[in-house]
Amino acid sequence: MDAIRAEATRSTVDHEVPVDEWAALYGDELERHVTRMLGNPDEARDIVQELWITALRATPDYGEGSNIRAWLYRVATHRTLDVLSGRKRRNALLGARTTELEPDRLPAPDDGFRGLSEEGAELVRRRVAALPCRQRDAVWLRWIEGKDYQTIADRLGGTQEAARANVYQGLKKLRRELAGVWNGGELR
Amino acid sequence: MNEVRCASYADDDLVAWVLGDMAGGDECALAEHLSECPTCRDRTAEYRRLEQSATACRKGDVIRWRRFESPFGEMRIAASRRGLVELSWQTPSDGAFVERLEARYGASPVVCDCDDLVPAQRQLLEYFERRRRAFDVPVDLGGLTEFQRSVLQAARGLGFGEVATYADIARRIGRPNASRAVGNALGSNPVAIVVPCHRVVRSDGTLGGYTGGLEYKEALLGIEGRSDLLGPPGLF
Repeated sequence: MDAIRAEATRSTVDHEVPVDEWAALYGDELERHVTRMLGNPDEARDIVQELWITALRATPDYGEGSNIRAWLYRVATHRTLDVLSGRKRRNALLGARTTELEPDRLPAPDDGFRGLSEEGAELVRRRVAALPCRQRDAVWLRWIEGKDYQTIADRLGGTQEAARANVYQGLKKLRRELAGVWNGGELR
Repeated sequence: MNEVRCASYADDDLVAWVLGDMAGGDECALAEHLSECPTCRDRTAEYRRLEQSATACRKGDVIRWRRFESPFGEMRIAASRRGLVELSWQTPSDGAFVERLEARYGASPVVCDCDDLVPAQRQLLEYFERRRRAFDVPVDLGGLTEFQRSVLQAARGLGFGEVATYADIARRIGRPNASRAVGNALGSNPVAIVVPCHRVVRSDGTLGGYTGGLEYKEALLGIEGRSDLLGPPGLF
């Protein structure tokens, strides 16, 4: 833990984050949680270790009365899902073209989907462009610009609930359209 | 397309979770559920992937637009990341304006503006109130032909209240015989007022045409103190 803190504090501002306390309180249950998803305790331990570094470095957006356990769970789960998707994509690639793949074209084991290729990004943008007008506006303001629902409602007219419904409808539609392409392992 | 569904959580819950819209307790419960339910796990991973492509989307081009009240009526402006691409007070509706932008800019998402275009709106209103003589907003003429662009750039060189003739502009861009084509290029100006095509008039002292309607050209020259060009009404 000292080594982690030493590494992390190099880029931290001087807010005191009680990471050791959190590790003692939630470390074991988080590791079990991640292990259940990944099936591999070693990988799970790595993810939870990474989580403490993230927690130290993060400008705490886990503030505002939100609970720290929920924040830790969210970050750990997100990271785990990324690892799972990376795994799934590699399998799809391997399954589809075992015979043609050259070793140096294999995705790196941990590349998750941290980077999106040019054509991958272009594909998403085209789908966003093709959304119905209100969904497109709402999705853009919430998802790309991180505006809150009140701001979106003020801008587009209507209630917060309507704004949220438009964001969710739009994202569900995008996922439906993109999942097929992604799961085919063709784009990243 | 029949997709497998989970009985405990709907897609809305998964979206809420990924966006961070959920209350803390529910958030933990869903995270735990994800460790047990492969269906929801796969689905959430897809939303997560979508969420992460936001970064890539943010980099690409986008067309923003907004509407505001002006002395000319409802005015709509649009901009790419490089600058203003459209200004119109004659489009009948938001829908028509958006459709035209979609047709013109194809692959880029056309979305309503929250605050990026506020400075452009403010400067335009200041101009109408005679509190501004020059615009400090970038203009993107990328969608035009090279000839149109050179004509409009030449028009941008005209200051507040300064006028030139179609022939002057033709000479300035090195095409002295192209007065008529210059007129056409000015007529296709997508960003009127900011690109001041209203400052170009005919050599015989009459105003020539204006795509937005001649009365608006008169109004703009009036704002710029050039009532002398308008001539006493009903002289002939």
